[in-house]
Amino acid sequence: MATMPVARRSRGRLMSRNTVVGWSFLLPNFIGFGIFTFIPVGLLFYYAFTDWNVFTGAEWSGLDNFSRLLNDSSFWTALRNTFYYSIFHIPLTLGASLALALLLNRKMRGVAFFRTAAFFPYITSIVAIAQVWNMLFSPSFGPINEIIRAFGVDNPPGWTSSANWSMPAVIIVGVWREMGYYMLLILAGLQTVPAQLYEAARVDGANAWWQFRAVTLPGLRPTMFFVTVMLTIGSLKVFDLILVMTDGGPGQSTLVLTQYIYQKGFKEQEFGYASAISIVLFGICLAVTVVQFLVNKRKDA
Amino acid sequence: MKRSIAVLGAAAAISLVLAGCGGSSGSSEAASGPITLTLAGWSLSTTPEFKTLADGFHATNPDVTIQVKEYDATNYDTQMIADLAAGKGPDLYVQKNLKNFFTYQDGKQLLDVSDVAKGLPDTVKGLSNYQIDGKTYAIPYRGDSWVMYYNQALFDKAGVDYPDGSWTWDDYVSTSKELTTKLKAAKSKALGDYQHNWQSTTQGFALAQTPGADMQSGNFSYLKPYYERSLALQKAGAQVKIGDVTTNSLTYQAQFGKQQAAMMPMGTWYIATLLAQQTSGEADQFKWGIAPAPQFDATTAGTSKTPVTFGDPTALGINPKLDKSKVTAAKAFLGYIAGKQGAESLAKIGITPADSEAVADTFFELKGIPTDDLSKFAFATHDTKPENPVAKSTPALQNLLNELHTSVLSGSVTVDAAITKAQDQAKSQGLTK
Repeated sequence: MATMPVARRSRGRLMSRNTVVGWSFLLPNFIGFGIFTFIPVGLLFYYAFTDWNVFTGAEWSGLDNFSRLLNDSSFWTALRNTFYYSIFHIPLTLGASLALALLLNRKMRGVAFFRTAAFFPYITSIVAIAQVWNMLFSPSFGPINEIIRAFGVDNPPGWTSSANWSMPAVIIVGVWREMGYYMLLILAGLQTVPAQLYEAARVDGANAWWQFRAVTLPGLRPTMFFVTVMLTIGSLKVFDLILVMTDGGPGQSTLVLTQYIYQKGFKEQEFGYASAISIVLFGICLAVTVVQFLVNKRKDA
Repeated sequence: MKRSIAVLGAAAAISLVLAGCGGSSGSSEAASGPITLTLAGWSLSTTPEFKTLADGFHATNPDVTIQVKEYDATNYDTQMIADLAAGKGPDLYVQKNLKNFFTYQDGKQLLDVSDVAKGLPDTVKGLSNYQIDGKTYAIPYRGDSWVMYYNQALFDKAGVDYPDGSWTWDDYVSTSKELTTKLKAAKSKALGDYQHNWQSTTQGFALAQTPGADMQSGNFSYLKPYYERSLALQKAGAQVKIGDVTTNSLTYQAQFGKQQAAMMPMGTWYIATLLAQQTSGEADQFKWGIAPAPQFDATTAGTSKTPVTFGDPTALGINPKLDKSKVTAAKAFLGYIAGKQGAESLAKIGITPADSEAVADTFFELKGIPTDDLSKFAFATHDTKPENPVAKSTPALQNLLNELHTSVLSGSVTVDAAITKAQDQAKSQGLTK
């Protein structure tokens, strides 16, 4: 009986010590997160309702920024272009990386080399990628148009120097750059599909296509879901590739939301308005992701 | 993106609080003893002007040392605005051009330096651009204007007469076409002219030269004839198409310096670059000259008149956070760089000072510079209008007009359609009436 309080006290001391240790492990990262992510993001929601040019204090302007957005045709163009990019970039990258992963999941000679080669674009500097692809796309002297001309097309596309073809050109480079990364994720997912399932399917007489549909795809569901979510968010906030490749041009043909935010904020010093556009982009990303989670949940059930 | 805007916000907010705690304890009388001032500059290894001015001033005022703080050349304004907002700005900083002057002045980031302006001679150009409501907020020390460079060797090869200073843009277009044809016949790959893909190459002239042109009016029809001429040149093959300029990252220095084009409109800053590159071998050795920019019509063309061109004066302003005891020294430095001594030292390194008339003789003593009468006339005589009218809406309008520029020159839309679209956008964003 006399020992009870001692035991309780020591357990209590242990617990509080554990808490302190836990916090001290957490704190360095949490302080950084708080100062550089949490507080600024919170402030962003405030600045979106102000008129602020960085120097003088932010002036509360209510919903002015948002009503201005409604009438701003450049904003709508940027929004349209963001969706244009995403709608093509997401399925194309998904398809290409899945195909690559299936191809490179077999036992064949030099598979390590081809896997590395497919991953290479992702680790290459984006500025170098843009520079080289721009040269390849050069309308009069570029190799791509030389090849197209060799096939008898007299008027090959202008690619990055034409308003109609600049977005397809950017999408091609975007898919080429990112497919290696997602291939790696899918390749990892493929390793988790049990080999016995394939054997069972074969015994049941399933051909390669049915094995893919009945075994591979369901086995890859969790991976594919993760890849789709990441790809969607990445596509909606594409920035660097477009900035260095076309700078939004020609005209506004490749102007996307992130770039419009950059332009309004850092080139025209309208930080309040830029914050308001950021909130719209944030809302879109959030909504799309929530829908994806709901769809995935329903499939799980 | 979202994040970095907000980080800046947090930084600004924190710095405001800190600045409030600090208070200004400086005394108002000039300090005795050594003073150190910081001066913003960019690309210090290739842009000697900052060090030249700092050293020159130190030589006559041994008590004052000017330390140059390096910024990135292309992101200069973005970095400067961030630094100033965080209260970490340099004591003296450059207005690279007039585009963001309104932002700095309206944001109360420039000290009133009207007393320095009063002491300067009338020949210092561009001062009025930095005046708002009768007060001066920055002192111009450098005044580049756009002229036309031409390659005499290529003109000789084609057998075409050199420009005589009387050209309108129509003369420029026809000569460029003639040069292209004749150079081709003479087995040269060079084209008639090169217009760099900057929007100012077309729009700067259109705004400066067209009577009644006003960016803020929301009527951009003044751009039309200038774009029609550029498109005609592209179509005739007399100049590189804009798509090839952007995709291959062509530089104007290589286009003219490596004799790919016989004529090129460009700012006077290129004189020093071309001389240096001809010495180092980066550019070919050939004889060249400068002529006045081609004109809107005959009323301003010819050496008996004053040709109209454009260019923003580069000026230096003082950070209002500067300790009061140092203000006198900072103002003395501004007076020095815009005055005769500063102008002379700039001219010696091939830079066009704001007071270019006073130093034309020094300038034409540079090694390798063309010394014909027309080059001297083009350097010294011009009515230079600002590229960026000083107004709140200018940065946003310039971005819209840049979109117009790339869409028209890439042939994506007609000139009329692009102008109508830009006008509608400007209106929908509330930038013009």
